[in-house]
Amino acid sequence: MKKLVLVVASLLLVFSACAVVLAQGYETMPEDALIIPLGVEGTPYDFLEPGVRGGTMYISDFTDPKKWNHTTSKETSTSLYTSQMMAGLTNQNPVNGAIEPELAKSWDVSDDGLVITFHLRKVNWSDGTPFTADDVLFTFNDLIYNEDVDTSSRDNIQLPDDTFPVVEKVDDHTVKVTLSMTFRPILTQIGVAIMPKHKLAQYVHKLNPDVPAGTFNETWGLDTDPAELCGLGPFIVESYEPDQQVVMRRNPYYYRYDANGTQLPYVDKYVVLIVASQDVSLLKFRNGELDVFGCRPSDVPILKAEELAKDFTVMVAKDKPVLGTTWISVNQDVGLADGTRENLRNLFRNRKFRVALSHAMDKQTMINNLVNGLAVPQWSPVSLMSPFYAGRDYYGGPITEANAVIFEYDLDKAASLLDEIGIIDRNGDGWRDFEDGTTVEMEFNTNVGNTVREGAILIIADDLQKIGIKAVANPIDFNTLVTKLLSADYDFVYLGLTGGTEPNSGGNVYRPCGTLHAWHYSACEEPYEVEKRIDELLDAGAATLDNDKAFEAYKEYQITLAREDLGLLYTFNNAYTYVYYNHVGNAQVASPLGSPSSYYGLTWDLVFKKG
Amino acid sequence: MLPLLILVSLFSFTIIQLMPGDYLTRARLDPQIKQETLNAMARRYGLDKPFMTRYWAWVKGIFTRGDFGTSFETRRPVFFTLFLGSRLQWTLVVSISTMIITWLFAIPLGIYSATHQYKVSDHGLTFFGFLGLSIPNFFFALVLLWLLVAVFKVGQHGLGIGGLFDNRFIAAPWSLAKLGNLLWHIWPAWLVIGTSGMAGLLRYMRGSLLDTLSLQYVQTARAKGLAERSVIYKHAVRNAINPLISMLGMTLPNLVAGSLVTAIVLNLPTVERAFWSALQMQDEYVIMGGLLFFSLFLLIGNLLADVLLAWVDPRIRYS
Repeated sequence: MKKLVLVVASLLLVFSACAVVLAQGYETMPEDALIIPLGVEGTPYDFLEPGVRGGTMYISDFTDPKKWNHTTSKETSTSLYTSQMMAGLTNQNPVNGAIEPELAKSWDVSDDGLVITFHLRKVNWSDGTPFTADDVLFTFNDLIYNEDVDTSSRDNIQLPDDTFPVVEKVDDHTVKVTLSMTFRPILTQIGVAIMPKHKLAQYVHKLNPDVPAGTFNETWGLDTDPAELCGLGPFIVESYEPDQQVVMRRNPYYYRYDANGTQLPYVDKYVVLIVASQDVSLLKFRNGELDVFGCRPSDVPILKAEELAKDFTVMVAKDKPVLGTTWISVNQDVGLADGTRENLRNLFRNRKFRVALSHAMDKQTMINNLVNGLAVPQWSPVSLMSPFYAGRDYYGGPITEANAVIFEYDLDKAASLLDEIGIIDRNGDGWRDFEDGTTVEMEFNTNVGNTVREGAILIIADDLQKIGIKAVANPIDFNTLVTKLLSADYDFVYLGLTGGTEPNSGGNVYRPCGTLHAWHYSACEEPYEVEKRIDELLDAGAATLDNDKAFEAYKEYQITLAREDLGLLYTFNNAYTYVYYNHVGNAQVASPLGSPSSYYGLTWDLVFKKG
Repeated sequence: MLPLLILVSLFSFTIIQLMPGDYLTRARLDPQIKQETLNAMARRYGLDKPFMTRYWAWVKGIFTRGDFGTSFETRRPVFFTLFLGSRLQWTLVVSISTMIITWLFAIPLGIYSATHQYKVSDHGLTFFGFLGLSIPNFFFALVLLWLLVAVFKVGQHGLGIGGLFDNRFIAAPWSLAKLGNLLWHIWPAWLVIGTSGMAGLLRYMRGSLLDTLSLQYVQTARAKGLAERSVIYKHAVRNAINPLISMLGMTLPNLVAGSLVTAIVLNLPTVERAFWSALQMQDEYVIMGGLLFFSLFLLIGNLLADVLLAWVDPRIRYS
């Protein structure tokens, strides 16, 4: 008996020793390592420098994670961690936004653009298991395309003709993706997180009928032992204290190296403190408890005052505004559902009225008064940082704004346009009236509690009142606002939407039948000519593999929307603001492009702690 | 107790339904999510079913399976989500320690106030008591943290603000240094939550003692020649404190539910914060679980007060 115990014990010892060896990472740099040329001239990374390994980074987030499963995650406080644990076939360069090889070391596209062959890197999962084509097939065929799995990735990857790319295995390190139509953004969208088959296949009902349907949606929850988690990304969750912190440790098998052959990430640990209040996060940064902080424009003056004394850098990048849009939606279907308010509806549907409205928007005053001047006026639905932004002359070119559609702030012009369409004061009470003598009145809503938005609608309503339009600012509860917006039960709404750099991803908003085409839902049945054109241009931009051709289509799309359609009237976009202690190396890489779900655009594996 | 809880649950469920929107409202504003996916999500979470059906299913789950529902967000049972980690323990530690400290200060100060009626010190105590009562908690908490950072510059001495520990202690095993660090982080909570409850208690104690001091038996005690000290502490205070014991029943749940704002600003890992986050996301079964938990606390508080009262005052007997 004693002998048996001894044998078992020694066997266990051997096994555990093996496990320890396995978890220590590659012996030498793998052949397929991805080299990030930090500080190398002529690369996008030339403004950064190679770092040193070691140390812990402290950042904060405002709410707790909900799970550790990237595929079923729904909000940024979860994907903040899961996107660090995972990686995709392709990735967006945090500096210039280009789509680059990630887990795929390269790909070939067939001449018709319908077949893409990805060559995978021979690298390991964080537990030492080799990564193969089976993991890719598992992710697409058994998770994303599986109706039983609760994921929003499915919508991202669906092609405009409602089919899905067919993912097939060629060999262990080659995957073939076949499309039913040419779709340029596919290279962005195919970059979804690849999940480990060897860990997760057992929880998928389709592959393991012993577990009930829907089991995968509960997999890798907050009660999962972090030792169970594994991924291909730079960091893996190590421990979690609810409402206090999440600690992430480096992935010993990460495949990114710098030009000196040092394996990334540089820092040993990344600690995210969970701090519910932004004001307290700001205090914690000033107190030296956080290394970097995604500050708000309103925090900049306080931070600037301490910048030198406390040895940190406040980054205010007006040339890098945050992604997404902020706009006024004028409800062109107002009263349509119950057949009332025909006067107002006809007015809202009149393009000249919306032009008048655009001339009455004082974007510069809004920027100066509401966000300390730290914003840029916005006119296009496409983010300024996108290579497709129409303020450039060619794809990825410098911003010249030669094509910008700008309705300058001019109340006289707005007033004369209103006169022109017969909206004049008929009874001398100072307010403009319809032809039948009733006053033109409208309610202007935004979400209560957002002081910037509340201020913006006050400024706009005030200007409208100056030209005799009785617009009443009324901030309301966020959910009520969204419900009103999506059921076309409003006059004016001021709100924002998230966005990326690919114009096609705005299809749900700008296409006539989009679920967020909230200013003119009836366009799905009876689109205007200009709305049909927008639909065509969005198709054209996605259906070519030639970026220059796509740029031409998207440029016309943006100009048509801004000048002819005027569905949404854009206001301004906040400048990218960020603050970091100078002991953090490469923190200047922070940009709205740095994988959007990471912490305020900071690329975690490139930063390091100096000395 | 049970019928009351059921009534509370029905009432709360109705109110949650009256809130505009639901858990999916935010997702509806995401340009990346299609209508079909939203419909599938509504079906998965049961949000497409009418209100009474959902309530009934929820109640049935409790009685047949002891299942209080699943959080939409974490896909885990409601109480797992609410009490995750050490939230329940920390809630009890923060609220009970605050209560003890409030009482330790309020009762003697109340006695002092009553025995020094209309003196400058009495007015002074009342003034500071009401000051603490009238400063909004979130403002006081924020100002306190600001003072620590910007004026006292505690960061230069390696001290953190908010939360329960400095960064380096959060995951560390228990030690004397960790305990000391806890004390450094918890005193702002005692101050902020404590001062808001102090004034009421102090004034109650003062009023109650003044009432008792004017009673005839106190006069008798003094006439017997007893020392003033024993007249007050042995005869008057023991009777004057009874009404305060019944107040205890109310203070306990107030401390738990009422310190929500303070818990957010001071970043305390408590059940309130999980509840608040559920409210924001409209994670409805977690909200229900939270409300039931707070109601239960109220009932326990009342029970505790009754028992204590019977123990302190031999005249009171429940039969």
